[in-house]
Amino acid sequence: MAIAVLRYPGTNNEDDVIRSLSLISGADPYLVPSRKGLAGLEKADGIFIPGGFSYGDYLRAGAVASVETITEGVRDLAENGLPIMGVCNGFQILVEMGLLPGALLPNESAHFICKWVYLKVSDKPTLFTEGIEGAVLRMPIAHAEGNYYCSDEELEAISDENRVPFKYCDESGYVDDSSNPNGSIQNIAGVLSQKGNVLGLMPHPERASRPILGSTDGLPILENFVRATKC
Amino acid sequence: MDVIYEGKAKRVFADPTSEDRVIIEFTDSVTAGDGAKKKKFEGKGAIACDISEILFSYLEGKGIDTHYIKRLKGPQILCKKVMIFPVEVVCRNIIAGSFGKRYGIRKGTRFEQPLVEFFVKDDKHHDPLITMGAITRLGLMSRDDLQFLIRVTLSINYYLQELLKQRKLTLVDFKLEFGKTADDTIVVADELSPDTMRVWEGKSTPLDKDVFREGKGDLISAYSKLFNILRTAKPEEVEINREMVQVIVEPKSGIKNPPGEVTRKALLRLGFAEVDDVRVGKVFNITLKNPITTETLNHLNIMNVKLLSNPISEKHRVRLE
Repeated sequence: MAIAVLRYPGTNNEDDVIRSLSLISGADPYLVPSRKGLAGLEKADGIFIPGGFSYGDYLRAGAVASVETITEGVRDLAENGLPIMGVCNGFQILVEMGLLPGALLPNESAHFICKWVYLKVSDKPTLFTEGIEGAVLRMPIAHAEGNYYCSDEELEAISDENRVPFKYCDESGYVDDSSNPNGSIQNIAGVLSQKGNVLGLMPHPERASRPILGSTDGLPILENFVRATKC
Repeated sequence: MDVIYEGKAKRVFADPTSEDRVIIEFTDSVTAGDGAKKKKFEGKGAIACDISEILFSYLEGKGIDTHYIKRLKGPQILCKKVMIFPVEVVCRNIIAGSFGKRYGIRKGTRFEQPLVEFFVKDDKHHDPLITMGAITRLGLMSRDDLQFLIRVTLSINYYLQELLKQRKLTLVDFKLEFGKTADDTIVVADELSPDTMRVWEGKSTPLDKDVFREGKGDLISAYSKLFNILRTAKPEEVEINREMVQVIVEPKSGIKNPPGEVTRKALLRLGFAEVDDVRVGKVFNITLKNPITTETLNHLNIMNVKLLSNPISEKHRVRLE
């Protein structure tokens, strides 16, 4: 199915994403530069917003991209239930535009962090985690603003509604402060929209999708995303 | 028509056709010295009305919100109905009038920067000078509204000075009144005439109420002269004054601020043991193409929520000083 992979000025993970998605049967990823506007989304069955540094991370990571015309199209398609995934800077754009709750603040260490982490997948079923419920995944992160924050009410809502599919954990799946790389509230690494069709996460599944990359743990997430575009 | 208010030199009538409008009539009375000196000059009201018409239209044309809608027949103008703030704003470029007396300084000294002063509208206490601190503590006006009035006053000072400069006239000082319309827009109200401003021709020849205050010369001919000069001025040749506002975005209290925390530690490493906490935010210097209006302030708020700040983790404010 046709998957629009967006590239804003400063996005730099689009090639990795397209390559990883291409390996999944039935996926037809294509590059959409953001200047194409709404026309770039016309035939999309799904949308992927890759990582990078859209607009140089000026103002706040994802802030400028979140008010582009094409981003308004993403919002409309999200409301129609189209599967949408944002990774790293893509996640930051999705929270800046309010499609996902909360905010991504500077890492607690105030450093850029680039390393492999473990993620505990929620036990409960979600569109993006079919077949890996409760698993521990190994994937890389690379960000300066991945410190997830939301209000207490919002935290209660997303927890109650099973909208936190991924949490940072240790190798054995134990979620605690020592396995929290960036200060995220309750070790949250990814969140879902209320309808469950929009996923944002800081770790990079596309960088853990082939054996040569050192992990294939991200592949099931991408496969679930592709499968969802066919529904 | 019903008289809503009668002042020293004006009458305000209700507009029979609209609740949101009033009709202001300029009278021929002139008072000075806190009402100690009073006289009627036939035709004065009409000239003051003519001059107000020219100046309000000019300021509106430059983007400043005023209460002026249109000229009516005779010495009357149709205006938006406003709740007048209980504070008058005076802007001074050159020392004259009460300022000189108050501090014992000779008339005619030019300030490096224009001075804005506030006076409470209170006849019983002779409209005393008042500080911003006293205004806010007496609950007369908010600090934000006062900052806004200062900015608009300085903007008007620029536009009036530039217009008069075309004709080699000097704007010495002027008084403004402001009000809030039904839709919460803050506008310049009252009048803009030689009754409320000092204008000098040449070195210090007054074309304003000082003619009467000081008992020198003919008031009507001075007012007429100013009107005739203004009538031939070229408002379109006065350049727009670009104005700057600051938007300050700060992390909300209670939210961790890692950039502030590493800065704090670095300051401690440098030996500044007195530093207890550092929070890092952002400042946006925004230059506007037009004078600051109530609409500009509303727009700045929307800009803040939509882009400049993240309302989840940051608070924002507009600084006009």
